[in-house]
This record gives sequence, structure tokens and C-alpha cells, in this order.
Amino acid sequence: MVRTVHVEDGVAAPLEMLPILAPERMAELLANELAALGFQRDGSTCRRTEPDGVEVTVDLERSIVAIKLGAAARLDEAVELSAQTAIESQGAMEARLRDAAIRELDDKLDVQIAALQQQITAQLEAKLADLQRELDAAVGRATIGALTEKAAQLGRIEETHLDDAGNLTIRVRL
Amino acid sequence: MADQPPVAPQVAREVAATEADLISLARALIAPHPVEVRALIARSRAMPPVISPACAELLGDALAHVWPALWRRAGRSRGRFWQRHAPVGLTFSSATLALLRGLLSARGGAPAAPGRPPLTLGDQVMVYFALDATYGTLAGTRLAAEPMVRGAPLAWLGFAEMLGAPAGVELDGLCTGAGAIVVEVFGDELARRWQTVELRKRTIAAPGELIALGAAQDATLRGFMAACDRHARRDLAGFVIDAAAPLLQRGIPPMPVRLDPAATLGSRATARVAAGALLRAVMAWATWDQAHRGVRFIDDDYAAAQVLLARFEAIAAAGRARAEAWLTELASLAPTPVPAAVVQ
Repeated sequence: MVRTVHVEDGVAAPLEMLPILAPERMAELLANELAALGFQRDGSTCRRTEPDGVEVTVDLERSIVAIKLGAAARLDEAVELSAQTAIESQGAMEARLRDAAIRELDDKLDVQIAALQQQITAQLEAKLADLQRELDAAVGRATIGALTEKAAQLGRIEETHLDDAGNLTIRVRL
Repeated sequence: MADQPPVAPQVAREVAATEADLISLARALIAPHPVEVRALIARSRAMPPVISPACAELLGDALAHVWPALWRRAGRSRGRFWQRHAPVGLTFSSATLALLRGLLSARGGAPAAPGRPPLTLGDQVMVYFALDATYGTLAGTRLAAEPMVRGAPLAWLGFAEMLGAPAGVELDGLCTGAGAIVVEVFGDELARRWQTVELRKRTIAAPGELIALGAAQDATLRGFMAACDRHARRDLAGFVIDAAAPLLQRGIPPMPVRLDPAATLGSRATARVAAGALLRAVMAWATWDQAHRGVRFIDDDYAAAQVLLARFEAIAAAGRARAEAWLTELASLAPTPVPAAVVQ
């Protein structure tokens, strides 16, 4: 029996965007940061497909990131069943064997599908921490950009200082 | 001695053995004597289709003790309920009888009948007592699956984790009249229950179980808090604060320690988000708290707002910030692993 299957796993999570400027402007700043990371913008979403097939999509309006990985496989399984029977019950036995074979093939294919699913899940899980860090950094830079813009709206920026812990200090003359 | 009124002679009333069990079960549920309840329902017997007048009378006597039982359960932590509220509005319908009969015949409860009137408050209290007495047993699981039980608003408030998929039960009846008094009485008990379930979430490994639990809790808390809001009885949702405050103070998030690694990432992520149902209710309380802060001295509801402000102090800004941080953590792509045990 040959069956083509498609397995997929994915996860979505909110991005912690602070409402410093208007949502459209915040989205714009985030989109710019994502573009620098290789994301392609398509309207209100930014998308990037990794070499290993992991698809990362950021919904700029809702500030949600969705990460997805799918795989298709052509599974080939065979079983061989035999039984001895009298000629008069050959038809019934053949039907029984066929049903048993189908059940056994289904079970074997289910095992293969589950293994494939776990492989996809493990592959995706291994990437999550790095992706989280990368996206957090992008959100952080977009937030700094937004704070700088906000400060510029308040007065003249005299000094900007970002320490190692990520704390930003902007000195503004009003 | 001569001034004492004459004592009416006690008349022994005869009932069938199954009827005696029915009365004993009602008394044991109300008392409460969970061990006796479990012993009674452990044995299945064929219940007759009708009960005798003597049995009905004795059952009525037993049910008349529900209010005193409620006062006893409430204790004195929130004052003497019996002095603040008159014992009125607690009626029972044939559903209570059906519940008792169902328990004794090992069916778990009463079957849903089309056109059955909604449960009275008394029926709901008896359902609550029954779920409480059978909690953690097979009989309790069977009982929780009964349509009649799933249709009891009080059952959802106390045992949402047992009742499965949300049934869209109307919870307004628990925010007015005797319903509100009953919820007030159960306040401490509800807080303990919700806190226990919150702790249990940390040990759940199957994402599907956590997702179902979260959905039931979310629907119950959202529905109940909306009803409290509609009837200006936000105080009734105080059990949310009492359940969550100690956990927030001690830093015990509802983060499952180890979800089944064989489950898909999507289902594990959904399960973690579902685990935050009580925290979402805390955030709803925090929104209320902000509104209470805006009530001025000259406003009509100033006194009530002050009481509610004092109520939320157990959580306060620090607890709110922690709840928000936990919700963010639950929803994050790569949550921080949780230590299996928290040392205080």
C-alpha cells in the first residue's frame, strides 16, 4: 500500500509590542526590523521561510508570530498474509484476509505517520528558543526606535544611552 | 414540671428499605458524611418508581436542614451568615429526588428529560453536595457526566474541572436572591477548590486534558464574572482572589511541569495557554480594580467600591504584574522550564 501523507505542526504566540506610538507606526517599525532579518513583507504580514522549511509568519496588525513546519511523505508498506481453507469458503477467507491486511497496513502506516509527526515536532521545537531570541531582539529594536521617535516629538534629543542590560536612557531638551 | 408543655409522642413511620436508603443518602449528603454517602451508593439497588407519603415527609424533613448545613459549611470566617440572611428561597423539585434515586441505583444521577424545568436552587445545592461527596471517585465521574448535573450553574462554579466541555449554562441566578447567598456561603470552599485545581495543572501531562480543563474554567469564570457585573455583585467573585493570591505570593504558576513530549507542539502550546484561566480572571479583577479606583467620594457606589478595593489588596499591583508575566510566559514560543518543586 502506498499513501502520500502530509504532517504539520505549528505554534503561535503574541509579540510583546508596547503601544508607544500609533499601532500602524509600531507595525511599520517592526516590519523594518523584520526586513533586516530576511522577512518578506506582504501587506500586514511578514514571512520568512528557513532553509529547513520552517515558515515564520508575523501578523503585524495583531502582533502575533506563527511558526509552522510541514512535510509530505510517500509511505510504502506491504504485508503478506496467508491461510489454508477449503475451496467452498475461499471467498469468505479472502475477504477476511483482505480486511486483516488493511487493518495491519493502517496500523503500520499510523506508526510511520506518528514517527514523521514527532520528527517534525522535534525539528520545530529545536528552533523555537533561537527564534524567540531573534524576534525578541527585533521587537526590542523596534521599541527603541519607537521610544526615540516619541522622544523626538517631545523635544530635542541630547543624548541616547543603551546599557548592556538593554535599558535605554534618552535625554530630551524640551 | 407542671408548667412544661406536653410533648407530642414520637410516631415511628415505616418506609421501605430502598426509601430508608434514600432518606439516609439525603441526610448524609447534607451533613455532610462523605464516607456514608460512598457506602450507600457503592451498592446498586432497584428503586421503586414512586415513594410513599411517609418517605416524602421524611425526605422533606431532611431537606429542611440544608440551610443550617450551609451555615455550618460557611463557618465564621466571614461573619455569621444566619444573622445577615434569612433562610429563604431554597426550594427543591423532583430533580432532587431523581438525583438521589440515580445515585442509589448507580446510574450516577437523573437522566435529562426534554422539557424538564430548570433546576431550583435547592436542587443545585444538592447536586453540589453530591459532587463534593463523590469527588475523585468513579461515581463522581459518572455523576458529573449526567446532563442534569451539567445543567446546574452551581456545579459549574464548584466543579468546572469535572464537567467537561462548556455547556453554556446561565449563571445569573447565582448573583441574585438566595443564589447569591449560597455563593457567598460557599466562598471559602470555592477558593480552596479552585486553588487545588490550579496546583493540579502543574502535574497534568496530557495536553488534551489541560485544554479541556482550561476551556471549562474559562467559560465558567467569564460567564460568572459577567453575571456578577450585570447584577452589581462583583464581591461574589472574590473566591478568584482568594484562590489565586497565595499562589501569586508564593510564585507557583499554573505551568505544567512536563507536557507529553510526544504530543504536537501546537497542542502543547494551546494547553499552556489554557492553563491560565484563573490568571485571566485575576486580570479581569484587575480591570475592575482600576474602575473602583476611579469611583469618587460623592458617587453612589463609593462605599461598595472601597470594599472591593480592599478585597483586591490581597493581589494588588505586584500580584497583577506577576499574573500578567505568567500569562505572557504561558503564551510564549519557548517557555522557561518549570522546576518540579517550589521551595518557599
